[in-house]
Amino acid sequence: MNKKNIDSIIELSNELRWQIGDDFHDNLTESIYADASEIVKDTVQSDTSNKRFRLDAKIDKIVTSKAFGFPIMFLVLGVVLWITIVGANYPSSLLANVLLDTIHPALKNGAASINMPWWLSGFLIDGVYLAVAWVVAVMLPPMAIFFPMFTLLEDFGYLPRVAFNLDALFKKSGAHGKQALTMSMGFGCNAAGVVATRIIDSPRERLIAIITNNFSLCNGRWPTQILIATIFIGAIVPESLSSVASLLAVIGIAVLGMAFMFTVSWALSKTVLKGEVSTFNLELPPYRPPRFWKTIYTSLIDRTLIVLWRAVVFAAPAGAVIWLISNIYIGNETIAAWAIDSMDGFGFLLGLNGVILLAYIVAIPANEIVIPTILMLTVLVTGTSGGAGAGVMFELDSMNATGDLLRAGGWTLLTAINLMLFSLLHNPCSTTIYTIYKETKSLKWTVFASIMPVILGFVVTFLVAQIWRLIF
Amino acid sequence: MTTYNPISALILFFVIAVLLFVLFRPIKGWFWILKKNFGSNEKTIIEDILKQLYHFENSGNKVDMKTLVQVLGFNHTRVVDAIKKMTINDLIYFESDILKLTDTGREYALRIVRVHRLWERYLADKTGFSRSEWHDRAESMEHVLTHDEAEQLSVRLGNPKFDPHGDPIPTKTGKVAQVNGVELPLLPVNSIGRITHIEDEPEVIYKQIIAEKIHIGSLVRVVENNATRIVFLSEGEEFKLAPIVAANLTVAPIENEVVVEDNIARLSSLDEHETAKIIGISKESRGESRRRLLDLGFVKGANISIDLMNPLGEPHAYLIKGTSIALRKDQAAKILIKRD
Repeated sequence: MNKKNIDSIIELSNELRWQIGDDFHDNLTESIYADASEIVKDTVQSDTSNKRFRLDAKIDKIVTSKAFGFPIMFLVLGVVLWITIVGANYPSSLLANVLLDTIHPALKNGAASINMPWWLSGFLIDGVYLAVAWVVAVMLPPMAIFFPMFTLLEDFGYLPRVAFNLDALFKKSGAHGKQALTMSMGFGCNAAGVVATRIIDSPRERLIAIITNNFSLCNGRWPTQILIATIFIGAIVPESLSSVASLLAVIGIAVLGMAFMFTVSWALSKTVLKGEVSTFNLELPPYRPPRFWKTIYTSLIDRTLIVLWRAVVFAAPAGAVIWLISNIYIGNETIAAWAIDSMDGFGFLLGLNGVILLAYIVAIPANEIVIPTILMLTVLVTGTSGGAGAGVMFELDSMNATGDLLRAGGWTLLTAINLMLFSLLHNPCSTTIYTIYKETKSLKWTVFASIMPVILGFVVTFLVAQIWRLIF
Repeated sequence: MTTYNPISALILFFVIAVLLFVLFRPIKGWFWILKKNFGSNEKTIIEDILKQLYHFENSGNKVDMKTLVQVLGFNHTRVVDAIKKMTINDLIYFESDILKLTDTGREYALRIVRVHRLWERYLADKTGFSRSEWHDRAESMEHVLTHDEAEQLSVRLGNPKFDPHGDPIPTKTGKVAQVNGVELPLLPVNSIGRITHIEDEPEVIYKQIIAEKIHIGSLVRVVENNATRIVFLSEGEEFKLAPIVAANLTVAPIENEVVVEDNIARLSSLDEHETAKIIGISKESRGESRRRLLDLGFVKGANISIDLMNPLGEPHAYLIKGTSIALRKDQAAKILIKRD
């Protein structure tokens, strides 16, 4: 056959194809699907174990009923969060005891005994080691508790029912019901929440879930919220109510985060994301007894350790930077002091201060070290006694002492409230940013997801600060 | 910080916020309007004129200068300039007052129409833009895409014959398929037909048709047809339209006794404890989501029933092939069933 022949055949085929029309292709595929299902019906014998199915249906009837569906859901989420926060306290303080109070001084002594120069031991031990140790102590226990529990629920088959129940709410904001799950996962860790969005197979809704996951208050931020609420919010009400008031304040912030999640999801789906393809479907798999040990093992390895490892990788350089900026002098001030000074004006506009802004910049790698950094920088700037030296992060044992130190740094109730708001509304930590990039493979969306929450945070804290100053 | 006070800071903030809103709000923002105006150069005007003339000639109407200027939203003098230029370039000519396309002009116009419809098809199949937006987006895209790019797009879409409204897409050689059918108001009572085309202009009427959830490719049976309204049944639902709205629907009458599935209904109308067989998926479900439904087993002949009602009203979970799959209402409305 020569070239001309082939060309004319191709042309003829194109022509014929066009004449047949669009329906042909569709009909062909659909009849193949239909034929396949016919063949399956005739040849494949399935063991329809009706008994199990009936039990499934019963459970489903209860967990998706109008009366019990939502209470059960809130109860389960509440219990999981409560166990995580309360249960993590003990191992966390144990780890802090070992890593920060025992090993850290031991390392310093060891360094001194081999005559290591002060700047090297400061850089390595006070900077890098301390940041890593801090992140591990704060991050590991809650994650090691939260993720296995969450994975067990997932394995049992309950979580898809939650998505099913809540989908109508999420649909209103242009999102997918499964975003309820990735959002809850975000309460544990935003990076893990972003990874979990893989369960959403519709491209547009998945991007929405990724970008808004940061509005779930993660494990690294709960302690900050609780500490600040206890010190400042608890102090303005009678003593007997103080723990209730601070608890309500923290829950209020978490709920506010959800409100932002819904609003931003809605805005995204109506504007920048409206061109992305959207498909919805949700499979409700049968219930099955969770494979307990396997689940615990895989959730520890797959989720906890991977996320922890990423956090450590990012925390180490952050520790180094924190130590360096507090120990390198330009003129007669440290870099930290210069930076704080230059950001104080902007910080004041937002009802915050330069120390907080600097802490949030250097602590981008991990939210866990925000408070220790703030305390260290406050000591550095105010020159009050206390603390462990320039560039050495620390936390005080007593809440009162912490409160006194912060008030000495010029903190008011407004600063505290705005810090809580800013802790909710700021850029995701670098682990999450990196994970967003890995999941979306798009620089554009990564930058957007990182910048958008900070801008929101600036706007919200700014408005709160101005209105506060008008009223009080 | 001597000049600072909260009120001035707030005022400044709101001024900036309002400014940003006025400039950048979707579609009506000044920034977008300016961008569009600067973008609408002579080429755009010429192409729009050609397209309008093509549509007018196709529908057998005659146009003079005045109507043309009215129809196009451009500056009067710019249109006149463009027309002058087009006569010189032999794209159009005057027959007394009436403007007519030359053969070259018609060819050019067809190319624009082709890009427009291809792009609508692309938006429908490959993106998530809602169908009320397709037309406007295609309007601006038709001036951007070159001939070769349009060809590539066409190949990628599998050389489609019709755009998502049912309008034929001209081939690269300028061949145009025929749309079968007549306007819905011309169909006598009790006759049956298939919707082959939904006109997307004017926008007001099109939006009304979208809101009614009338699907292209669906069968209709006219129940009542008079000067005030047209009532017809389609996919188990009853629709009432004013004749002027109904005229935007083209319906191909089906005369001979093709087995018309008389009690076709939409899956969304299924009640708890009812069972049904799937007849097919509506043409309105396209691209990725159509394929997903097929993958999940929503194919012709499958048995289906409701597994779980949702406490918030949607999505309901449907039992299909032994699996429980939840679908939202608008998706279920595109799956056609026949009750057992």
